[in-house]
Amino acid sequence: MRRLAGAVVAIAALASCTDQDGTAAMQQGSADRQVAQAPYPEQVYWGDTHLHTANSLDAFAFGNRLGPEQALRFARGEKVTSTTGIAAQLSRPLDFLVVADHSDSLGVTRRLYEMPPSQVTDPVLRHWQDLMKAGPRESQKIIGEMMVLGAKGGLPKAYEELSSEETTHSIWTEHTGIVERYNEPSKFTAFMGFEYSLQPNGNNLHRVVIFRDGKDRADQVLPFSSRQGNADPEKLWDYMDRYEQTTGGRVLAIPHNSNVSNGLMFELVGPDGGPMTADYARRRVAHEPLVEATQIKGDSEAHPFLSPNDEFAGYGVAGWDQGNLPFTIAKQPGMLAGEYVREALKRGLAVEARTGVNPYKLGMIGSTDSHTSLATADDDNFFGKHTGNEPNAIRAMETMDLGGKGRRIGWNFLASGYAAVWATANTREALFDAMMRREVYATTGPRMKVRLFGGWDFSAADLKSDWVKSGYARGVPMGGDLRKGARGAPSFIVSAVKDPIGANLDRVQIVKGWVDATGKTHEKVFDVVWSDMTRRQRGANGKVPAVGNTVKEATASYSNSIGAAELTTVWRDPEFDANQSAFYYVRVLEIPTPRWVLYDALRYGAKLGPDIEKVHQERAYTSPIWYRPAG
Amino acid sequence: MKERLRGLGREPLVHFLLGGLAIFLFFAWRGTEADPASRTIVIEKGQVERLAEQFAQTYRRPPDPDEIDGLIRDYVKEEVYNREARRLGLDQDDSVIRQRLRQKMEYLARSSVESEQPGEAQLQKLLDANPARYSDGAVYSFDQVYLGQGDPEQVEAGARAARVRLAGGADWHDVGEPLSVPGSMEQATRSDIERQFGDRFVDGLVALAAGSPDQWHGPVVSGYGAHLVRLRKVVTPQAPKLADVRQRVENDWRAETIDVREKAAYQALLDGYTVRIEKP
Repeated sequence: MRRLAGAVVAIAALASCTDQDGTAAMQQGSADRQVAQAPYPEQVYWGDTHLHTANSLDAFAFGNRLGPEQALRFARGEKVTSTTGIAAQLSRPLDFLVVADHSDSLGVTRRLYEMPPSQVTDPVLRHWQDLMKAGPRESQKIIGEMMVLGAKGGLPKAYEELSSEETTHSIWTEHTGIVERYNEPSKFTAFMGFEYSLQPNGNNLHRVVIFRDGKDRADQVLPFSSRQGNADPEKLWDYMDRYEQTTGGRVLAIPHNSNVSNGLMFELVGPDGGPMTADYARRRVAHEPLVEATQIKGDSEAHPFLSPNDEFAGYGVAGWDQGNLPFTIAKQPGMLAGEYVREALKRGLAVEARTGVNPYKLGMIGSTDSHTSLATADDDNFFGKHTGNEPNAIRAMETMDLGGKGRRIGWNFLASGYAAVWATANTREALFDAMMRREVYATTGPRMKVRLFGGWDFSAADLKSDWVKSGYARGVPMGGDLRKGARGAPSFIVSAVKDPIGANLDRVQIVKGWVDATGKTHEKVFDVVWSDMTRRQRGANGKVPAVGNTVKEATASYSNSIGAAELTTVWRDPEFDANQSAFYYVRVLEIPTPRWVLYDALRYGAKLGPDIEKVHQERAYTSPIWYRPAG
Repeated sequence: MKERLRGLGREPLVHFLLGGLAIFLFFAWRGTEADPASRTIVIEKGQVERLAEQFAQTYRRPPDPDEIDGLIRDYVKEEVYNREARRLGLDQDDSVIRQRLRQKMEYLARSSVESEQPGEAQLQKLLDANPARYSDGAVYSFDQVYLGQGDPEQVEAGARAARVRLAGGADWHDVGEPLSVPGSMEQATRSDIERQFGDRFVDGLVALAAGSPDQWHGPVVSGYGAHLVRLRKVVTPQAPKLADVRQRVENDWRAETIDVREKAAYQALLDGYTVRIEKP
C-alpha cells in the first residue's frame, strides 16, 4: 500500500502538469460572504444533525462505501447511487447537515479492511477482516460482535491500537476539508461534528457534538473518543470547554437514543450515585441544550408505562423498550423513567426544585442516525438504518443483528426524523445560535411548520393580525422562559401548518409537566385544536375522538379528505398555579399515513407479518417553554 | 483503426494513464518484489525499516529485536509462499486478489482528481453547459388568496365567490380563508416558494407566467388546497457568474470528473482488448 501511495503522489504531480490554465489559487471565500440576517426567525430550516458515513466503524462494516462527500451531495439534493446500487435522491433538499461519524475508531474498519493480512496478527481482527472480505452478509455480523465485545469492555487491544492519533488526524482533516467545501452560507450549511459513543455495559449514552466554527478551528482538535472517558459524559464536557477556551469557538452536544440507555440517560443522581448536585446540573445544561427525541432507532418522547393517560404515547417504542442497545441487559420497567424525554423534562423540574438548577432543560430535535450516508426520513423514500437494510423485499421482517438476542425486527426501525430550526439565516452561526436558545423542534420526517409563543396577554384577537410579530414582541418563542406575569395564567399562540407536500393534520396538543410543593412531578396532555371541531366533540372521558383513517394498505396511499391544512389557536392554561414550575411543549399529530413497510410491500412484494405496524400518525415535538415562579 | 489510435495519442487522458503506468512499473521494478522466477530473497534495509514502521503504526511503539526478527521471518515466509503460489498460478483465479487489484486500478484513476485543481476555463465550461443548475432561476412576485380544501366543485364555487368579491373592490387580504403562509411573496425563487407552498403550486404559478399581470388567476392548487393567484412580476435573472458559484461548480466538477475519469480510464484500457463473449 505504501508503494501504491508513492505512485499516486507521483501521478497527482503528473496530473497537475496537464492543467493548462494553471490557476491553482484555491478560493475559500464563500464562507466569509456576508449573508443577510432576518430581523427575527422568519424561516424554519430543515436538517439532519446525525448522519454516519463510511468513516464510521460500524457503517463501513455494514458495507457502506459512501463517504462524507456523497452524504453532503445527497443532503443538498443531488442524486447519488447508494452502496447497494440504487439511485437515491431526496424529494426536497435539506438546508443543513451534520456528518457525525463515530469518534471511536474513526475510519478504523476501513483501515483494517485495507491492511495487508500479514500485518493482522490478532485473531479477532483477522476474523473480522476475513468476514468483511467474504461479503456483505458476513461483514454485517461484525457489528453485533463488536457491540457485544464493546459492552463487556472486551474489544481486542489491537483494534483500539489501530486508531493512532496520526490516523485520526489525517481522516479528520480530510473530512473537515470536504465539509468546508460544501458549506455554502445562505444555501446549505455543512457543520463540523462527530458522535461521541459512550456506552457503559452497552447502555447507550451517545452524544452528537456540533461545532459552530469552520475548518480552521475544528482542525485544532481531534474528535473526542469515549474511550478517553469513564462511564460519565463529564470528560466530554471537559473536552468541549478546552475547545472553546483554546480556539475561541463554540460547541454543543446532543444526546440521543435515551430509549436504549437502560435508564442512565436522564438520571436523578450524579455520577457518584448521590443526589445530583447543582454544579453537575449546571454543567450538563450548559453543554447539552437539546435532545434528539426521535430517530430511526425509535422515538423517545413518551412511553405508555410512564404516561398511561396519553393514548398517543406508544409511538416508535416497539422493540426498543426491551433492552439496552446491544441487548446485553434486558430492560426493567423502573428504567423507563430515565429514558424518555417527557419524564426527563419533569425530572429536570424536580432537580431544580431541590438544587436551583434544571439539568434537563432540553429542546427537541429529530435526526436520522442513518449509517448509509443518506439522510432519509420520509416513509416513501426510506433508505434504512444501514447498508444491510437499504430498500429490499425482506428488510421489514428480518431480525436486527445489532447483537444479543435479536428480539428486534426490521419493522421496528422508524423512517425518522428531521431537525427544524427557526433561525435568522441559513448559516452555521445562525443555526447554531438557534439551537443554543432551543428555538427548534423535532419531526418524525414530515416538514410541518410549527410555531409556539408563550406570554401573559395573548388572546384570539392576536390571530387576526401578524401574530408572529406579536409573538416575538410580547412573548417568548419555543425554548424560552416565562417569568411570573402581571396577572392570570400564561397564554400560548400555537400554530401548525401541514407539510405542503404531505398529510393533513389531526390535532395539536400541549403537553404540560409540573412539580408540586412536595417535589412530586405531574403531566397532562391537552388537546387544544383539532380538525373538524364541530363534528369531533370531546367524549365523556374528555378525549377528542380519533380522526379516522384513509390509508389504503394495498396501494400504500392515503387521502387528505380528513384532517386540516392548518391548526392555529390561542390557549390559556386552565389549571395554572403561579407557585409551581412548569413546562409546556406542543405535539402535532398528522392524520394516519402508510409506514415504509407498506411501500416495501408495494414496490418489492415484501411479505409483512401480522404483528407489524403498517400505519402511523407522524408527529412534531416542539421545544418547551418553561415557567418558573419569580425568585 | 489507425486514425483512432492517432486520436488516442493526442488524448491527455492517455498520456496521463501511460505516465501512471510507467510510474507504477518503475515502483514495481525498483521494489523488493523481485522476479518470481528468482530463487534469491534479499531483505533490504529499507524493507526492514518499513516492517518496523508498520509495526509501530499498529502498536504505537517500535518493535524489539525479537519482534523484528519475527516480522522478517514472517515476511520471508510471505515472499516464499507468494513466489511459489504465483509459480503454481494460484493468483490467477483468486477472487479476493482480483478484487483487490481492480480496486487499486480504480483508486489510481480516481485519486488524482481529489487533489487536482481545475482551471478557470474548465469550470467556466461546466457552468456554461448547465447555467440553470447554478442559478436560482426566475424570481416571482405574487399575491395569493387561499380557498381551502375540498372537491373540485367546492373549489370552483369558492373561486367564483372570491372573484365576485374581488371584482366588487374588496380588499384581497380579507377574501378567502386564513392560512399561515405568506399572502404575498416578493422576488421569490422557485425554491423559496416550494418551501412555503410545495412544488405543485410553483408549477401552477409558472404556467401563469405568460398571463396578464394584475389579474387574479386560478384556482392554482397547492398542498394546502386551492388558491387564486395574482402574479405581479417575473424577472428572469442573468446567467450566474463563475465567481459567485465557483465553489459549487468546483465541487460538482470534482465529484463528476472522478466518475468520468474512472470510466474513461477503463474504456481506454478496454479498447486495447478484444472481448469475445460466448453465451451458453
